[in-house]
Amino acid sequence: MSLRTTPFHARTGPLSEGQAWRRWAGYVVASSYELSHEREYHAIRNAAALFDVSPLYKYLVTGRDAARLLDHVVTRNVAKAKVGQVLYTPWCDAEGKQIDDGTISVLEEQRFRMTAADPTLRWLHLNSSGLAVSIEDVSERTAALSLQGPNARAILQVAAERDLSALKYFRLTNAKIRGIPVTISRTGYTGDLGYEIWVDSAQAVPLWDALIETGAPYGVTPAGMLALDVARIEAGLLLIEVDYFSSRHAFIEAQKSSPLELGLGWTVATDKERYNGQAALEAERRRGPAWQFTGLAVNWDSLEKLYAEVGLPPRVPTQAWRMSVPIYDPGGRQVGYATSGGWSPLLKQYMALAHLESPSAAPGTQLRMEITVEHRRKQAIAHVTPLPFFNPERKRA
Amino acid sequence: MSDARYDAIVIGAGANGLVAAHYLARTRKRVLVVEQHQAMDPSADIGWVPPQVRKDLGVANLRVEEPDPWLTVPLSGGGTLELSRDVAKSAEAIRRISSADAAKWHEFSARMHRLASVLEKLYLASPPDIETRDPRELARIGSLGLFVRRLGKQTVIDLARFLPMSIAELLDDWFESDALKGALGALGIWHLRQGPRSGGTAFNFLHHHVGSPAGVFRPARSNATQALSDLKGVDVRRGQRATVLAKNGRATGVVLEKSGDTVLAPLVVSSAPPRSTLEPVAIELDPEFAWAVRNIKARGVVARGTFTAGATPAYWNLCIAPSLDYLERAYDDAKYGRDSAAPYVEVQRTNGRVELHVQYVVPGAHQGLTERVAKALNARPDQVTLQPADESLYHGELTLDQILFMRPVPGWSRYRTPIEGLYLCGSGTHPGGGIPGAAGRNAAREIV
Amino acid sequence: MTRYDAIVIGGGHNGLVTAAYLARAGKRVLVLEKRPRVGGAAVTEEIFPGFKFSMFSYVVSLLRPEIIRDLDLPRHGLHILPLESTVTPMENGDYLAAWADHDETRRELYRHSPRDAEAYDEYGRLMHFMAQAVKPILSMVPPDPTSFAPGDLAALLRLGKHFRGLGAERLHALVKLMTMSSADFLDEWFETDVLKATKSASGIIGTFLGPRSPGTAYVLLHHYMGELDGVFRAWGFAKGGTGAVSEAIASAARSFGAEVRCNAGVSKVLVKGGKATGVVLEDGDELAANTVITSLDPRRSFLQLLESSHLPDEFVSDIKRFKFRGSSGKVNIALDSLPKFTCMPDGGPGGRLHRGAVSISPSLEYVERAYDDAKYGEFSRRPYMDIVFPSMIDPGMAPPGKHVMSIFVQYAPYNLNGGWTDAKREAFGDAVVNTVESFAPGFKSKILHRQVITPLDIERITGLSEGNIFAGELALHQLFFLRPAPGWAKFNTPVRGYYQAGSGTHPGGGIMGASGRLAALRILKDGK
Repeated sequence: MSLRTTPFHARTGPLSEGQAWRRWAGYVVASSYELSHEREYHAIRNAAALFDVSPLYKYLVTGRDAARLLDHVVTRNVAKAKVGQVLYTPWCDAEGKQIDDGTISVLEEQRFRMTAADPTLRWLHLNSSGLAVSIEDVSERTAALSLQGPNARAILQVAAERDLSALKYFRLTNAKIRGIPVTISRTGYTGDLGYEIWVDSAQAVPLWDALIETGAPYGVTPAGMLALDVARIEAGLLLIEVDYFSSRHAFIEAQKSSPLELGLGWTVATDKERYNGQAALEAERRRGPAWQFTGLAVNWDSLEKLYAEVGLPPRVPTQAWRMSVPIYDPGGRQVGYATSGGWSPLLKQYMALAHLESPSAAPGTQLRMEITVEHRRKQAIAHVTPLPFFNPERKRA
Repeated sequence: MSDARYDAIVIGAGANGLVAAHYLARTRKRVLVVEQHQAMDPSADIGWVPPQVRKDLGVANLRVEEPDPWLTVPLSGGGTLELSRDVAKSAEAIRRISSADAAKWHEFSARMHRLASVLEKLYLASPPDIETRDPRELARIGSLGLFVRRLGKQTVIDLARFLPMSIAELLDDWFESDALKGALGALGIWHLRQGPRSGGTAFNFLHHHVGSPAGVFRPARSNATQALSDLKGVDVRRGQRATVLAKNGRATGVVLEKSGDTVLAPLVVSSAPPRSTLEPVAIELDPEFAWAVRNIKARGVVARGTFTAGATPAYWNLCIAPSLDYLERAYDDAKYGRDSAAPYVEVQRTNGRVELHVQYVVPGAHQGLTERVAKALNARPDQVTLQPADESLYHGELTLDQILFMRPVPGWSRYRTPIEGLYLCGSGTHPGGGIPGAAGRNAAREIV
Repeated sequence: MTRYDAIVIGGGHNGLVTAAYLARAGKRVLVLEKRPRVGGAAVTEEIFPGFKFSMFSYVVSLLRPEIIRDLDLPRHGLHILPLESTVTPMENGDYLAAWADHDETRRELYRHSPRDAEAYDEYGRLMHFMAQAVKPILSMVPPDPTSFAPGDLAALLRLGKHFRGLGAERLHALVKLMTMSSADFLDEWFETDVLKATKSASGIIGTFLGPRSPGTAYVLLHHYMGELDGVFRAWGFAKGGTGAVSEAIASAARSFGAEVRCNAGVSKVLVKGGKATGVVLEDGDELAANTVITSLDPRRSFLQLLESSHLPDEFVSDIKRFKFRGSSGKVNIALDSLPKFTCMPDGGPGGRLHRGAVSISPSLEYVERAYDDAKYGEFSRRPYMDIVFPSMIDPGMAPPGKHVMSIFVQYAPYNLNGGWTDAKREAFGDAVVNTVESFAPGFKSKILHRQVITPLDIERITGLSEGNIFAGELALHQLFFLRPAPGWAKFNTPVRGYYQAGSGTHPGGGIMGASGRLAALRILKDGK
């Protein structure tokens, strides 16, 4: 009983200086190891940060109809993906509203690993009637680390004793690190050069040790969720239950979103057979989505002015926030809401992720975001900015 | 690939399949009926055949039997109770076992008949679409409501009160005689994996009363399927099991299991069970719909069979269900996955054949079942032949959650499926089993 | 002789709620209670020195938040404490637990079935929606579908609109809930037998039905309805036992000026010219009132307190047909120390097992067989039980270090073969104790005292006919506009000035108070 700890807890537990933990899928993971998350954030953009991402839900889908099942469920074309490819994809209900998003790794012919933010076993089973497929929940059996930052490749190459420059963005490979069999995928949640390393839970601790030891000269830094949250906003990456509601959790229609409304139109395949939500998504694409999910950059001068009115220097949040903040057009009509936001220490910019009614979502549109200055509600000027905010060449190179 | 081109393929040459096929053929469609069995089933069709079917399709050879007395009930003290088509005569017979029950027979018969007439009205059309915004459908629902109200306040109250009730509660309110309650109660559990004390069995009782005259609580028997088979105008291919083909949300035809032939047609109408019809094309379905199909309750509880009696029995229809408790205990066995130790047995004599209905018989080994049935009939085991059914012979139990707009699955009661061009028309759809031809007719009218 | 605006017969929680609302509206109100204390079936009694028990009803379920607010019950001493976990010991020594924390519950379910752990959340969401759909009906006066009165037609239309507004999917789910057996309904969702057994057990409480009987699925909703009232914590354990709820309502009623008289049983309602004019007490005293309200069950209200000549024949036969069939018993036990359950000998972290409910429902077949016994007129040899240890929640219920244990037991049929005798009662008590012992060896040696209550005892003490804890079965054909009789579900009766406010009226059941409140609102409206 009580909450679960991940297979890395023997190492991550003692690192926690402030006992700052948070819940993730029934596990506890570090908010930050140090008392402030600042250094952990900079490691992502400057050296390499090591995250424990074991709580992700993972499913092994195998069998003759494995690709058929996945293609029936998700919006991207799985049948077309090659062995060694990783697909980021949302999946939807019959009305084309997004249930969740995650990745599908093509491990071998007829062998796929699907990751999800929410439990998905039942949904896969519901979709599998009449198919020759086996679905296995390997969440507990598989531990995962995410190594993110400009030095990530260098560290992994030493650890795995092989050249990884050929491993392209969203591709995976099998490797051994100090004799431990792992799968390395060039994926992550930071929008930077980075890799995720998948390993049998029993080998989790030696893998951690290997990466920390090899990575020390390259500045590897264990990092927690607070640092990750800033990086993923810079990268414009969605977080379920924060930036959108799973259609299976929504209590009312208005809480649901389609992938087209979430800026994921590129993941909705046009070249495949029937899948969940297809008819609704095609119709929506034809008429154009009612909402857009986009970036907002808060105007610094405007911020400065609002604070100056009460005699204070401008303040920005030190951590990323996750709440609903109203967005208005210059006429004062509410045209949307921001769901995440924060200060980018790298870009020196107050950024937010927002749902905007389509007519107000064109890049460059000037809007207003509500902020609270000394207990009073104000509106700061903000401009619609395409996502991601930060997109370094090394991510794909 | 077959050379013949058809406008429609109907799966199953039972009464519903044939009725649907001929209604479609009347609209100048070229119709092929595919039936998995080579030989025609010689047993009688049980249930009321709506007169509209006979009239519309000109079913000339239809013979409906009206046995009198319609039920013979052996009494524990010896002798029998004979229930006749004449209400007064039945009351007279009942008086010999209970004068209190005899006194109520007229009113009971009338009240039940009035309620069954409401169902009859509902059964001769697609179920009311309670979510509709279409003024025509709303008007139809309104007129149904008015029809019910015109039958009187008591009918409205009876409907609300009786339908969810158990047949045991209903009968206990009226009668005291175990023999009478057992004989009537048996109709309440027909083809259900429920006992007489289970809610909703009063509805099942009324369902099987539809189309019968007041005071007759056993459905009619007929040669409906045979008579329909004699009609011309559709092609019938027997001894072939057909599986639906569909692509991109559209039905394209069927594949014949034995020959492997594909027969193409833009319209496929299946009188087979909804689950076996839809499972092969599950990939074309939304998961919620597929889930609902998987959840259709269609548990087998009945063995049909034949009884080779030495001489022609002296009764038309013999019922061995001496009390409600007898039926309830028979059900208790089924509840725990066993055939009834003391089953309910009904013997039906129809044109020289003596047929059996045995309940509860659940999927399994059926150890000693034939012997037990024979014993109940004071006969030898070799005189009894039984065919237990693993799945409900009604393709879906007639419980309250599986009738009207909930049949075959909630929201898809109008014979359509999410697959364009694929329709259902069997007992698994509204109004369900025991009314040969009604679903086929409703479905064909919906398609046309 | 004092003349009252209203006399309420019966000081159970519904009667008290009616009295409080009427008094709050400025009426001169008298409540007459037969027993020495108010509460009816919601009473706390010190049965053994130092050991206090919620003698009959033991959890507060769905007490309407509007009543808590309108009567300001917290100021009158109401304090509802959480009762959040349920542990079901299994016959193989394992257990199934539902804890207060969602992640923990998920993990526990995952241990039994990963798929069920997921289905549990989806099921929960559906039930949330269903509860939301049904909730307005609880605070609605049922319209009469046989009437052509404009008010009824309008109400029926509104009701129709409400249900259509739910959307197809939820409407279908509601139909299923109203008609299916809890076992069949749960079969669609779950594969873990013990989970289905424990969930379905909540569907059979107070009914004479088994988990496989159609009509039991609806009661699965109750728990979720409680959750809707979230912050009001409609589901829980009242500090001081359920008697404290009654006392709080009585105190509120008194604060509004109502008079509450105990040891004052009513033998007859006086009727003159088709109108109720007052009551006759058991000691022969007559009291006059403009309005007489009965909070007793329909059988007592109409067949005992009134001469049937005052009532239409049809109504009398409807009431005679109204089913009670009490099926539950209660065993109250004073304990030297807490029993240790084989499945969780340490009681879990912090001894949390004993702070929640223990459900003896190890499998569907177990519960169904318990029902089979009752179906044929016997008490269950191995009954379904819902066990709580109130002293673990409110230490004031037992002397320091000692404990009280409340065991709700089903089935114990009112019409036992051969009838209830003292010997049968003890045999029933033994069956209960022995069954607990089989899950918690050593339990028997910790028992200091035990009180066994049969349905007959419930009837004798509280007056509830046939010991039915809901004052009439909560079966589909006895709900809404059929409760207690068609045409008379709007709290009035065929006798002018005579109203009904007990659980035998819509919506009935549990310590809800909804019937009492709706009746009071109706009376006040008629008085205008």
